[in-house]
Amino acid sequence: MLSITKTLRTAAAASVLIAGHAMAGPYDDYAGQTLVVNFPAHPHYDAVRKILPEFTKETGIEVEVDQLPYLKMRERQTLELGQDEGDYDLIAYVVFSKADYVYADQLENLARYFMNPKLADPSYDADDLIDGYVYNIGFAGGNKGYLQGKTGSLFGIPYGSETSVLGYRKDIFEKHGLEVPETYEQMLDIACKIPELEPGMGGLSSRAASGHHASHAFLLHLAPMGGRVFDDNWNPTVNNEAGFKAATALKTIVDCGPEGAASFGFGEALGSFLAGDTAMFLDTTVVAGQIDDPKKSKVVGKVGWAMHPMDVRRGSQTGGFGIGIPKNAENKEAAFLLMQWLTSKAGDKLVAMAGGNPSRFSTHNDAEVNAKFPHMATFGEALKHADPDWRPIIPVWGKINADLGTTLSKVLTEDLDIQEALDGVAARAQVVMEEAGYYTWK
Amino acid sequence: MRATNFNRLTPYLFLAPALVIMVLALLYPLGYMVYGSFRDWDPSQSLGESEFTGLANYVTLWNDANFRESVGVTLKFAVSVVSVEMLLGVGLALLLDRNLRGMSILRTLFILPMMIAPVVVGLVWRYMYHPTVGVFNRTLKSVGLESVDWLGQHALLSVIIADIWQWTPFIFILSLAALQSLPRSALEAARIDGATGWQQIIYIKLPLMMPVLIVTGLLRLIDAFKVLEVILVMTEGGPGLSTEILALRISRTATEFRELGVAAAMSNYLLILLMLLTLFMLAYNRWQEYRAAKAQRIMEGGV
Repeated sequence: MLSITKTLRTAAAASVLIAGHAMAGPYDDYAGQTLVVNFPAHPHYDAVRKILPEFTKETGIEVEVDQLPYLKMRERQTLELGQDEGDYDLIAYVVFSKADYVYADQLENLARYFMNPKLADPSYDADDLIDGYVYNIGFAGGNKGYLQGKTGSLFGIPYGSETSVLGYRKDIFEKHGLEVPETYEQMLDIACKIPELEPGMGGLSSRAASGHHASHAFLLHLAPMGGRVFDDNWNPTVNNEAGFKAATALKTIVDCGPEGAASFGFGEALGSFLAGDTAMFLDTTVVAGQIDDPKKSKVVGKVGWAMHPMDVRRGSQTGGFGIGIPKNAENKEAAFLLMQWLTSKAGDKLVAMAGGNPSRFSTHNDAEVNAKFPHMATFGEALKHADPDWRPIIPVWGKINADLGTTLSKVLTEDLDIQEALDGVAARAQVVMEEAGYYTWK
Repeated sequence: MRATNFNRLTPYLFLAPALVIMVLALLYPLGYMVYGSFRDWDPSQSLGESEFTGLANYVTLWNDANFRESVGVTLKFAVSVVSVEMLLGVGLALLLDRNLRGMSILRTLFILPMMIAPVVVGLVWRYMYHPTVGVFNRTLKSVGLESVDWLGQHALLSVIIADIWQWTPFIFILSLAALQSLPRSALEAARIDGATGWQQIIYIKLPLMMPVLIVTGLLRLIDAFKVLEVILVMTEGGPGLSTEILALRISRTATEFRELGVAAAMSNYLLILLMLLTLFMLAYNRWQEYRAAKAQRIMEGGV
């Protein structure tokens, strides 16, 4: 009896071995390779680092991470991507780098990888990836040149992407019988009531500091108010009725905000909400982890989440990071395998459980993820309205964005007339667009 | 004849390696920047791939209101910080130029601020200026005064104060060294002749310290024109453009706007401005020396 069992065991082991040779795993050819990846110092990528050992265990591919502050990361990538042979096999890029990298032909088009049956996992389910994120971060060459569309294609996959939601103090709202705002009108009304109801407390924390911060805050309101920075012919429209309304909303928020709100960057705005100095926070989803961390937050358990309020339409921001393969990467196929593994259903859930931002609808609806992070369901709902075109992703945007942000800062701090300020931005943007060749076909 | 020629060339031969290194290390990057400033140069391109645009970058800047505002802010910042720092630094040196107990410890304490990394200085001051949790506003509130919006309404003044805190010790240390190396005989003669403390300072100490003070002021001025990190961390140039000094605008033009050619042109404007200042200071120094020598000759002639 013993010898029969032994024979059966040997036969089973041999058949596994033979089968293994006949049907090699997708990772076998790449096991032992070392990928060098460039990631930002960001809560999502801190979570990614926790799950990378799992990838190595599963595939035999080693991963070396070069993690940098995100502005530094962009500088380094600009240098690296311009070389004949780069050091990085996979990079995380901030969304406004997409235009620069794709335009300079420095990112791999992902079609040839998804077409390769040896590399592409049939169970990947790309339709489950959040539409707004994919179009915002991954696509180029489609509508307006930077969106999805019949002429577009995929250069990256969203990873560590963010949208905007409204965080509010449940205790304060309950105490004063306030309803969670559904619309901008309600939100602005509550924002200015709070300082009266709770002396010393600001209504809503917002970024407002000169430059990128003020511009970001303005654009956050522009999309729900039906505005766009440019019309379909690239004429600046920031100074139309919607733009005026968005800038007025920003000014109201800052005026009814906590002390010193006009000089708040993202850190100060979040810090003020975490310290309990404001009743609402309208910004990125990435902060949820910090709000629930007792080491950083005085408002643990007191914060509820709601959708970004609507005005004439719903439109929350899309931002954060995507991952792509540089044209000059050494191990492109292995890099694709890592990219696919990280953004697969299983990888997305793993990173979400480790505290990262998921990029898939299924992860937002996953029972286990929701049990650990109850806000995930609201975030998933908000994502359905994530607007990939809430700001233009064109090479000259950096310059226009800076001008918009510094001019709005003058509105907030020096009482510059709103219409005059926006007219100035529109006029200067027109010159920049003209120089960049956007009116060649007029 | 040949041997004479060779002998004449020998010093140049020995100088050649140093000259080559200088050309490579100093002039090549400078030349690269000047060359880049005449081109429409994006960071994704190599310099060779970029398009030649002549003086377009310089002309664009000349007509750019934001650039002009930035130059104005830089001049205001540099002149204010250097004037106040010179006044305080030299004043402190004059006050502390005596044999006090524990002077060496005091001196070390004084120079601590300039040893701190600029980013840390920026962060520390940013939090001290914080509207609610910052030490300044908390102190003001504790004595019943209104809090001040330091980085909003008074941003330039706030960064000027931080810079003065960090760099006054530099002036102080150099002024003290200059003071302590003054010829004692002149001071003693003045004292015997009945000069008061003020007269000694105005007629003896300051004129004798002047060459050192000019160089010190010049070094600080050059540095003040290029300060970046502290302001970047404290205000990011805001509100509006009220604290966006040239170095910060250059950095944003290169990284945010991705216009390396324009950033290079801006750097060249800054370089020209600093060279003019340096030449002016050196000329002033020369003129002072010439006047002193002339006075000496007249005195000797008179004797």
